[in-house]
Amino acid sequence: MHNKNSPATFWVFEFIFRVLPHLVLFAVLIWLWELAVATGFITSIIIPRPSKIGGAIVELYITKGTIYRHFFITLTEAVVGFLIGATIAISLAVSSSLSETFKRYVIPYAIVLNVTPGIALTPVIIAWFGYGMGSKIALAAIISFFPIFVNTLTGLVQVDEDREELFQSLGATNYQVFRKFRVPAALPLMFAGLKIGLTTALIGAVVAEFAQATDGVGVLMSRFSFQLNMAASLATLMSMTTIGLILFYTMEFLDDRIVFWRRENRRAAASRARARAWKNQL
Amino acid sequence: MAVQDAIPAPQAVEDTAGTVRRKRILRHAGIFLTLILMWEFGSRIGWLDPLFYPRPSNIMRSFWLIYFQNGNVWYHLYATMSLVFLGWIGGSILGIGLGSLVGFNSVLRRFLKPYVIVLEATPRIAVAPLLIAALGFGASSKIAIIVLVCFFAPFINTLSGVMNVDEDRLELFRSMRASKMQVLRKLVLPDAVPIIMAGERLALTAALSGALVAEFIQRDEGIGSLILVYTRNLNMASAFACIFTLTILGFLIFKGMEKIDFYVAFWKYEGGRERVSAKRRAAMEGPDHA
Repeated sequence: MHNKNSPATFWVFEFIFRVLPHLVLFAVLIWLWELAVATGFITSIIIPRPSKIGGAIVELYITKGTIYRHFFITLTEAVVGFLIGATIAISLAVSSSLSETFKRYVIPYAIVLNVTPGIALTPVIIAWFGYGMGSKIALAAIISFFPIFVNTLTGLVQVDEDREELFQSLGATNYQVFRKFRVPAALPLMFAGLKIGLTTALIGAVVAEFAQATDGVGVLMSRFSFQLNMAASLATLMSMTTIGLILFYTMEFLDDRIVFWRRENRRAAASRARARAWKNQL
Repeated sequence: MAVQDAIPAPQAVEDTAGTVRRKRILRHAGIFLTLILMWEFGSRIGWLDPLFYPRPSNIMRSFWLIYFQNGNVWYHLYATMSLVFLGWIGGSILGIGLGSLVGFNSVLRRFLKPYVIVLEATPRIAVAPLLIAALGFGASSKIAIIVLVCFFAPFINTLSGVMNVDEDRLELFRSMRASKMQVLRKLVLPDAVPIIMAGERLALTAALSGALVAEFIQRDEGIGSLILVYTRNLNMASAFACIFTLTILGFLIFKGMEKIDFYVAFWKYEGGRERVSAKRRAAMEGPDHA
């Protein structure tokens, strides 16, 4: 017999009261949409029927599978661009935090780069790096640079004065101050910057694909919409959402693991693990 | 005696601070000029292909050309900026409206949350080709893109501003029997407005980017299509002149939003309350004392 506190009952209750209303609402919305198109209330050329979108999804993702190549190309462009942008941003931010002079001379250029809408560079970047993946990676790197740079730098510079004094009075070396004090203090802000940077990197890759490309989700999507094949276009948009979700949750996971002390339960888990290790040693 | 000797010291310190500052600015300018000159000569010697990496002197000439001699940039700037502002205002109204609606209604919030997460993960600019196909070429689809792109930041910020009400303060308000309107006006808004303004600032920048993307796709008018056309013709100097125009524009937008923030969310700034209450007092006393 299940009692009320058993996990199975809990999940059933969870499903009925929390998930089911969402699903019902979603189904009703989809049905209304279908009805609106079927009765001619919405023109089917502009907004296709949900069933048609479903058909396009099946075709693109299962029967033909055309999307996967483009999906991975865009994903690679965004991730590689992000990694390049983040590497440059973090190294510049660390150097700026270590040297006041360096910071003074770097910041004006970083600000100029920030107030320029990075997307405006798209045509020029394509002329420089060609029609292939290089230009998409470059644009993704450029527009993901600033949020990461500014957040890392802010995190490294804005430190608790009292704690710093404590470190100094305990005779910590410069390296120790940096490694054990500044970096941990900066990590939460840095991860916030990395999350923003990852989203903008995806935008950069997609926009560069709109402007000029042969492969990638962006090209696929603009091609479909100019053929007025809106169902396929929306199905492609879904894959962009998927890329966005994958990138976002990867970052969230890393954030949870690396900056574990910010979340109460993660902190508890980490200290439990440490206690276990300690006990085993004894 | 010693104390009196120490008095002029701050004066001396201030002087050196001034000279240090002047020297610093000179050094910045020196480095900047050196970089520009290196670029110019690198191009003249042949290290940089002037076809792709235009010389600074050529960029300056292009500035002169597109602003004064041909004067063709004004039309495109006007086309872009009018759409940016229209779309920004539309997106702000939509974002703040929906944000406060969702923020005050917990049922709505619960049911909208999954959609918001999905919308947040989608690169919103990606919907541009869809909107153009749906609404046709022209201003309406551009405005729709801008609205969509810049709606999100005010929405999220309004939502978090409205929801992050300090529980203790809310209890204090309740225990003093404040009406709902009073809670809204005296508790929620003062905390939420600075956050909403930060969202507006992000939205205006996003609106400019959205307009550029819309113009890249439509290629009819606006500064984005101008950049695209110049690059296609390998007239890189003019393309760069347009890009630097956008840099200046971005800077002006940033400063302008700071100024607006200073007046709208005045209580956030040092001495802001005193400034406004002095003004109010002057307005109240004005007719009697004039």
